[in-house]
Amino acid sequence: MVVLREGMCPGLDEDLLRDLRAADIKTVEDLVSSDIEGLAQKCSVSYKALFAIRRVLLAQHTAFPVSGADLYEELLSSTAILSTGNPSLDKLLDSGLYTGEITELSGGPGSGKSQVCFGVAVHISYQLKQSVIYIDTTGGLAAGRLLQMLQAETSNTEEQMEALQRIHVFRLFDVYALLDCLYSLRSGGLQQVSVGGGSVKAVIVDSVSAVISPLLGGKQNEGMSLMIQVAGALKTMAKDFNVAALVTNHVTRSGSGEVQPGLGVSWSHIPRTRILLERVEKAAAVSRPSLRSAKLIKSSRQPCHIKEEFDLQWWSRSEKGSLGKRKLDETDS
Amino acid sequence: EAAGGLEVDVVFVDTDYSLDMLHLVSILDSKLTLLAGADEAALRSCLSRLLFVHCYSSSQLLLTLHFLETTLSSRPALALILIDSISAFYWVDRCEGGASYTKQEEKLSRCAELLGRLLRDYRITVFATCHAIRRPGVPSSSSDSERSYLCRSWQRLVTHRLLCSRQEPGDNMAAEGGHDQEQRRQQIFTVHCTTSSSRVKASWSSSFCVTEAGFSE
Repeated sequence: MVVLREGMCPGLDEDLLRDLRAADIKTVEDLVSSDIEGLAQKCSVSYKALFAIRRVLLAQHTAFPVSGADLYEELLSSTAILSTGNPSLDKLLDSGLYTGEITELSGGPGSGKSQVCFGVAVHISYQLKQSVIYIDTTGGLAAGRLLQMLQAETSNTEEQMEALQRIHVFRLFDVYALLDCLYSLRSGGLQQVSVGGGSVKAVIVDSVSAVISPLLGGKQNEGMSLMIQVAGALKTMAKDFNVAALVTNHVTRSGSGEVQPGLGVSWSHIPRTRILLERVEKAAAVSRPSLRSAKLIKSSRQPCHIKEEFDLQWWSRSEKGSLGKRKLDETDS
Repeated sequence: EAAGGLEVDVVFVDTDYSLDMLHLVSILDSKLTLLAGADEAALRSCLSRLLFVHCYSSSQLLLTLHFLETTLSSRPALALILIDSISAFYWVDRCEGGASYTKQEEKLSRCAELLGRLLRDYRITVFATCHAIRRPGVPSSSSDSERSYLCRSWQRLVTHRLLCSRQEPGDNMAAEGGHDQEQRRQQIFTVHCTTSSSRVKASWSSSFCVTEAGFSE
């Protein structure tokens, strides 16, 4: 609700404001929705003047429509697909993380969500040479692990340091700090962060459920409202700045006993793509404890329920031989 | 028009950034190619009939609908408003409204009243999507998702209600065994439509699949 203040537009002076308030018109919405003729009589101001004020206020505060053709052109030139660094995950995601969208990774404890986030961050900062914002709400991020992954990519210390510098970490532990962080990033923070080298291409929030789920449940609405506000802030940032948002979520059991992502039905509409991570239970997997299976549970581009298996150690595998051929680690460490 | 379309202007009001424009264009492109031959100019002219607006709050939605009224009078070809989704601000409004239900629902009911007036005065059609929710503190039961939770003015405005649901992948693929490669099961969606105009009460169902080229039976 935008409150009417004097000077908002030409013609809106203090006297008129007082008359309007006496007629119970306090906000822009009230003014726009009310009957201008009757109001003009009550406030002893000309119909034309009040109508002009209404028109200016409306133009100032509405969203401006964009033609579909222009929107399409803009999207074509600005949307990018960021590879996650792991070909199986990329296959599931239809070549990678799309900018302008929220992708969700959910899974139980130890299912590898944070490891996947580290891997994606390292891949984007080292291979794609772009900046990443990593918002850590669980305290699970250790720079040593990132360095370990980078050391597997290159043995050049300078390159490692450069890549580490492109990953910007924010540690927060409650939803208000998260909202503050997202809003400040939107209003200039992202530009500041990009000055170092490479524009920000991804924002990773690990995990979004850690700060929101304590507020849900019971009969209060505030938790749900905050959750929707976080979603709105992330989506606006993703769209306006062309970044890919990756969030992680915990899992719960549904009424029928199946594992499903947490945060409920209202959150389930927020991410465009959702992946469920699980440990692999097959007998053959006992020798490879870092094997995980990813199931696509929501996607607008691929049929759902397709599964891919991948190794969490992919991002720290020993590097390609001198001939440039890629060598996958066959034995487990 | 050669492709069998209506050549009508459309306004898409987006509240939660859910429009996948690239997907829309690929569906449009495949339909045009199929029916009228690949034509860049036709695609562009179709796209120029689409007006896209994004609202970030229910206040802005209300103001934008007022603004649309002037657009409606200046563009007589405009006949369809799509709102995706009308429930996006539900929780934020409920929290802002404090303890009184009237205050919580005030903005949405104003939008609904305005839409009702636009429907009558300009003879347009409105399609809106509404997400299913589970209210906190209410025990979850299957009948919950079918009841509308939005304000009464909106419920009165709705004449056709389509309930979409996803059929869980059943055992019809049991024959495939453990072949992961063959998991391209067609996800079947069903739509159950109920109309509640004053004279007729009817309902029917239909199923469809979503493919690269849009819907298919």
